[in-house]
Amino acid sequence: MMKTLADFPAFVLRRPAALLGLALLLVQAAAILFAPLLATHSPIEANPLASLQPPSAEHWLGTDVSGMDIYSRIIFATRINLLISVIAVAVAFVIGVPVGLVVGYRRGWASTLVMRIFDFIQSFPVFVLGMALVSVMGQEIWNVAIVLAILFTPIFARLVRAEALSLRDRPFIAAARCSGATDAAIMFRHILPNALGSSIVQVSISIGMAILLTAGLSFIGAGVRMPIPEWGLMVSTGSQQMILGIWWVALFPGLAIVFSVLSFALMADAARDYLDPRGERSR
Amino acid sequence: MTADTPLLEVENLSVAYGDRTVLHDITLSLRPDEVLGIVGETGAGKSVLARAMLDLLPGGGRVTGGRIRVGGRDLATLPEPERRALRGGTVALIGTDAKSLLDPVRTVGAQVADVLRAHRRLGAAEAKAQAIELFAKVGIVDPEKRAEASPHQLSGGMAQRVVIAMALIAEPSVILADDATLGLDATIQVQVLDLLVARCRELGMGAVIITHDLGIVARYCDRVEIMRDGRIVEEAPTARFLSAPATPYGAELLGAARARPAPMARAAAKGATERPLVEVVNLVKHFTTGSGHVVRAVDDVSFAIPAGETLALVGESGSGKTTVGQCLARLLDSDGGAVLFRDRDMLGLPEKAFRPLRRDIQMVFQEPYVALNPRWTVERLVGEPLGLDPEMAGAEARRARVREMLELTRLPARLAEAYPHELTAGEQKRVGMARALATRPAFVVFDEPTTALDIRVRAQIIDLVRELQREMRLSTLFITHDLNSVRSLAHSVAVMRHGRIVEMGETERIFAAPSHDYTRMLLGAELPIERYTAA
Repeated sequence: MMKTLADFPAFVLRRPAALLGLALLLVQAAAILFAPLLATHSPIEANPLASLQPPSAEHWLGTDVSGMDIYSRIIFATRINLLISVIAVAVAFVIGVPVGLVVGYRRGWASTLVMRIFDFIQSFPVFVLGMALVSVMGQEIWNVAIVLAILFTPIFARLVRAEALSLRDRPFIAAARCSGATDAAIMFRHILPNALGSSIVQVSISIGMAILLTAGLSFIGAGVRMPIPEWGLMVSTGSQQMILGIWWVALFPGLAIVFSVLSFALMADAARDYLDPRGERSR
Repeated sequence: MTADTPLLEVENLSVAYGDRTVLHDITLSLRPDEVLGIVGETGAGKSVLARAMLDLLPGGGRVTGGRIRVGGRDLATLPEPERRALRGGTVALIGTDAKSLLDPVRTVGAQVADVLRAHRRLGAAEAKAQAIELFAKVGIVDPEKRAEASPHQLSGGMAQRVVIAMALIAEPSVILADDATLGLDATIQVQVLDLLVARCRELGMGAVIITHDLGIVARYCDRVEIMRDGRIVEEAPTARFLSAPATPYGAELLGAARARPAPMARAAAKGATERPLVEVVNLVKHFTTGSGHVVRAVDDVSFAIPAGETLALVGESGSGKTTVGQCLARLLDSDGGAVLFRDRDMLGLPEKAFRPLRRDIQMVFQEPYVALNPRWTVERLVGEPLGLDPEMAGAEARRARVREMLELTRLPARLAEAYPHELTAGEQKRVGMARALATRPAFVVFDEPTTALDIRVRAQIIDLVRELQREMRLSTLFITHDLNSVRSLAHSVAVMRHGRIVEMGETERIFAAPSHDYTRMLLGAELPIERYTAA
């Protein structure tokens, strides 16, 4: 239970699934850091003469309808996709966790109101809400991140609230009050550290979800616009050629999504097992 | 099988988990119509022994040597179907915490009938009829109706009776009671054990009572085995053990179980004019249940505690004694009355104005582990209340005070860096006390400080409280149902029942001549070993 973050790498190294997740993460990190070196072509330069070429020595994963190199676009898209996802989840975490903490610790009409607002957000079908917000705010990368942050904030708030609700009535909180702890100290020093476990796991899960949603929004035309390299948008444009037997345009960015989501899901699993005090034994 | 054949024989039994041997060379036997006590502290291996006798070793334990014979037959050589028939059929186990042993979604009558049907060919209706008959015999009032109840509708004592009925129904020849009355009120404990032992005698069964309470052994057992670290260190008829234990460990346990002689002399010669430090006047606290029913948890309670004295608030669970303590520490808002601290009413104060007073009014919580933040070190936990003390602003001063408190509560300094889960129950209790005493308060509420502790740890905690009281001239409210510790600690006693104080007076007077029927009943349920030991 009292494990520190420093022990986490050793924990990962002992688990093959987590190790795979970590390896995939490192591949993505490399793609982000060294995109210009790894890419063989410009990701946004159209070349009508090389339209829809199958994978070859020149274009490793083929080209799309505008003649853009798919391999290079996938590499550069890692930046966009992970940037959107990480920013969205970070914003949702930073807002959702303290809101959930306060709402869970203090019952009252204001807390009820906040929860009903979250109900309202979460009761919308994700894509309808996404389309509505993006169409109001414009098809920008930042707007996609904001949409996702709005969608994810209630998730973190709910997780922390549930923990805070059960922790607030534990004897050690009463003991802290006897020791003169103020409400703020009880919330942030006593409850928060004990309530964070599930949210930390949720970070990984949410990043995976964010990648899928970004891709989904782009796929239905509510996300980023061409020629920005983005996995979902690439799948979307490629899907039209799929039935003509031109499989490479949609397949490779699709695989990129799969591996990226998988890497975060595996890390989420590892984080959950790591934070669960019974995890080591029940395995 | 002749009358002299032991019902149960354990011969040189050893049990190991992995490489760790937890039972070493245990030999014991149980004759028909005998009640055997097995006594030991936490970790002595009592429960593992009970499970081994049932051939139900939990979690990968295995028998590495010796044998267990039930009715002359060696367990290890029996085929599985016969062993299964033996469990619950010939040897039945009654465990701690009856409610968790019962299936929450089935009626208790059906569950008891199931046991019978597992061991005999019987129709459902007939099994149920026998179950109801047995319910009546184990003292369940209105058995037909109770048989239709789900476990959550029963009180702890009632649930324990159901479990006893479950154990008795297949007419076993051996009953194993593993801490069967742990956590029950004293009066209920006596009823349950009286009943269990009476049924055993009546049916000629043997019983093994596993406990850490020597009072239970003194009252019910014919013979006692003392266990320590997986070994039996002493075996003797109960009377002989109580009058003259043969081993130093046995003597130590016995000494620890005795009440400390005479509560300390009155802290101050009673000046008639001296005002009490804490005075509770007509305190009222109501709770409203989900169905709108109002429970008067504390109903017009008044008492006073002079400086340097201890008042024990005794009563059974649900009497409202813990609620009084929480109202005094302002963990609950009271619904009426006044609490005067140094002649100043503190119930009316807003939280902000009350906060500085917390330095002088502290509380030690009942369950040591759950009252400590699991993610904080001992150093940080003990240092937390020092925020209330303006003189303790510097980190250096705080560290020094924390060291001082650890020393005062006899905790080794190296534990400062430990987390609560790394401590033993006794150490956790001491950390709770170190926290409460860190600001050098004038008044401390002790909520059940001796419950759920092993005999020797309990004695150590009692000694520690006595010492601290003398040194710091503390006033304390001591909330407990452990009458033995009341004798050792309190100057006066208030007996609570249903939210009211039914009797109050000096400790010696209450114990010598209780005037209220309920007090007499409580005292009657106490199982002091003094009654049986040579003075």
